[in-house]
Amino acid sequence: MKKNDVILIAVLLTAALAVFGGMALFSAKSTKDAEAVVYLEGEEQGRYPLDQDASVKIEAASGGYNILEIHGGKADITEASCPDKICVNHRPVNHQGESLVCLPNEVVVEIVNGGEPAMDTSTR
Amino acid sequence: MKKIHHAGILLLLITLLLGAAALSRKNSQPSRFETRFFDSFDTVTTITGYAKSQEEFEEQTRLLQEKLTHYHRLFDIYHTYEGMNNLKSINDAAGKSPVSVDEEIIDLLKLGTEMYRKTNGKVNIAYGSVLSVWHEYRERGTADPANAQTPPEELIEEKSLHTDIAKVLIDEKQKTVFLEDAEMSLDVGSIGKGYAVQRLSEYAKELGMEHLLISVGGNVSAVGKKADNTPWRVGIENPDLESSVPYLGTVEIADQTIVTSGDYQRYYVVNGKRYCHIINPETGMPPEYVPSVSVLTKDSGMADALSTALFNMEISEGLELVESLPDTEALWVMKDGGVRCSSGFEFHEEK
Repeated sequence: MKKNDVILIAVLLTAALAVFGGMALFSAKSTKDAEAVVYLEGEEQGRYPLDQDASVKIEAASGGYNILEIHGGKADITEASCPDKICVNHRPVNHQGESLVCLPNEVVVEIVNGGEPAMDTSTR
Repeated sequence: MKKIHHAGILLLLITLLLGAAALSRKNSQPSRFETRFFDSFDTVTTITGYAKSQEEFEEQTRLLQEKLTHYHRLFDIYHTYEGMNNLKSINDAAGKSPVSVDEEIIDLLKLGTEMYRKTNGKVNIAYGSVLSVWHEYRERGTADPANAQTPPEELIEEKSLHTDIAKVLIDEKQKTVFLEDAEMSLDVGSIGKGYAVQRLSEYAKELGMEHLLISVGGNVSAVGKKADNTPWRVGIENPDLESSVPYLGTVEIADQTIVTSGDYQRYYVVNGKRYCHIINPETGMPPEYVPSVSVLTKDSGMADALSTALFNMEISEGLELVESLPDTEALWVMKDGGVRCSSGFEFHEEK
């Protein structure tokens, strides 16, 4: 075997390793901790890990607000300026893809990285 | 020997190239995306499907969003829109003159009339006069909960005199609709959303979408299955909001629709008692048979109308009706939290 051959093989192996390593790292990234993602009029506003208790005031463009509480690994809207209070009446969420929606304020709180979704949507 | 070495290196190279090709193909395969919008039927619409990127998915679903907005305007009874005769136009001309309308309004009203007949009047699109009274009291009651009131009985009785669906005159040839009674009005709250979702599913198919899940405020319709050829899983929400159990179970759907009518989403409270937004055409009051009922079938407009009708009747009467209809199943959540299903409903209970 020529020296050049050895170098070529070494380079190829290194390249392959790098690719697979990168892949592994990338897929590891998607198994991070569950978060509540806040969207305001469709734009992402912030992310809050479910394993840290927090209280966040979401200020809507209309001047209204929603209070998001993270407690016991769940996200819950506990107070809101909207008239219908559908978001406040909604139970706390912690499963992948579950969401809290406040239509009047155009606020959406969605759970990401919450594990394998048990369902694709729900009916009510 | 040298040749063998070269062949070996070549083999290694080819393997790597193939690997890279497989990898890039995997990356270019459509992944799952979700888009959400708020501009129709006073609720949130979620569309789940497959594309190469979020941008591409939103590009594809933009046409669906436009279509849904179109239906929202057509079926709106509170606003008029330029260049369009909608349900409000028909209501405004009640007792005066027929109104020329879109084919789709004719279609919707025909479905409404058919469902009135099939359900013995338990869902009535000509019930607007009574519903508008409740609407007004509910709006006032939610804005000022301390002074919330229910409408006086005499008012409901008087308004009930103007709800005869036989006086909705549909002229299919001329494409006009005329309400004979000047005091009557149409309200398609029990059917319009479902009809729109059905049309949306059909439109998505025409656009070549094969795997799509549409939910307009919990009115769910599936185009095909998921991309991996398994059915979509839909959770049945627990009407008991105090409970820590969010879903009672799931049902699998493919090219089907499921619609729920319940008393726990839209309601107002008078003297500690809950009054939901669905009104029984027979009594003029919110029914109190069950907290929720879901209908599983092929057509979402029919599912929407039927779930309202079932909400307005005893479970036994509803069961009999559901069993008489082809490809139609229903699930009732009872007051004690228990679940009752029609014979063909495959419910996967949450454990």
